[in-house]
Amino acid sequence: MAREGDRGASGGAEDDPPIFNAENLQSNIKSIHYSRTFLSIIGGVIAGIWGFTGLTGFIFYFLVMAAASFGLAAKAKFSICTYFDSWNRIFLDGIFGGLMSFVLFWTFAYDIVHIF
Amino acid sequence: MRIGFMVGILGGILLAHAGYATIQYRGMLKIVEEEFSRPPMNVVVELLLGLAFCIWAALAAPAKFRSIHPDSEENRIVSLPANLDFMIFNHRGKVFPCNAEYKLKK
Repeated sequence: MAREGDRGASGGAEDDPPIFNAENLQSNIKSIHYSRTFLSIIGGVIAGIWGFTGLTGFIFYFLVMAAASFGLAAKAKFSICTYFDSWNRIFLDGIFGGLMSFVLFWTFAYDIVHIF
Repeated sequence: MRIGFMVGILGGILLAHAGYATIQYRGMLKIVEEEFSRPPMNVVVELLLGLAFCIWAALAAPAKFRSIHPDSEENRIVSLPANLDFMIFNHRGKVFPCNAEYKLKK
C-alpha cells in the first residue's frame, strides 16, 4: 500500500490519498499480531487438554479467533478508522498464520495429556 | 501492562492445573476401564476460566493502540526540543495550511 506518510496535516481537497502516522500504524499492527499469536497458542493448549479431535478442534480455533477479533475491536473502541487503515487488519490478518501455531500446540498438549 | 502479564500467568497456571487434573482423571479411567469422552465438569470450568483470563491478558498486555491521524489530539508536538541548533523551519512543509488555532496543551 503506497499510502504511508510521516506526520503532517492532510492537505486540502487536492490531497487524495490519506496520510497516516506510519509508526503508530505499525505499532498497532504489531500489537494485534502478538495478541493473535498468544491466543492461538493458548487455544491450542486448551483444545489439546479438552480432547478435541478432528473438525471440532478447528471450529474451536475459529471461535477463539472470533472472540479475539471482537476483543480487538473493543480495544479500538469500535472506531477502527482511528487506529487502522482498513477493517481487514482487525478481522482477517493473522488468522491463518495463527492456525499453524494452534495445530502445533494442540497436538503437543493432546499428546502430553492423553497419550503419554 | 504489568497486571496484564500477571493475569496471563494466572491463566497459564490454571491451564497447567487443568491439564494435570485431566492426566489424573485419565489414570483413574484406566483403572476402572472406561472410555475417555470429556474431562470432568470442574476441569471444563477451569479451562474456560483460564481461556477468559488469557483473552483478557492478550488484549491488555500488548501496547495500547495509538491514533494514526496526524492531526489528532494525542499526536501533537506540544513543545520544541531544547536544542534548536539543528532544527530547520524553511522546508516544504510551508505549503501545508497552517492551523492558527492550536494552543499549547496544558
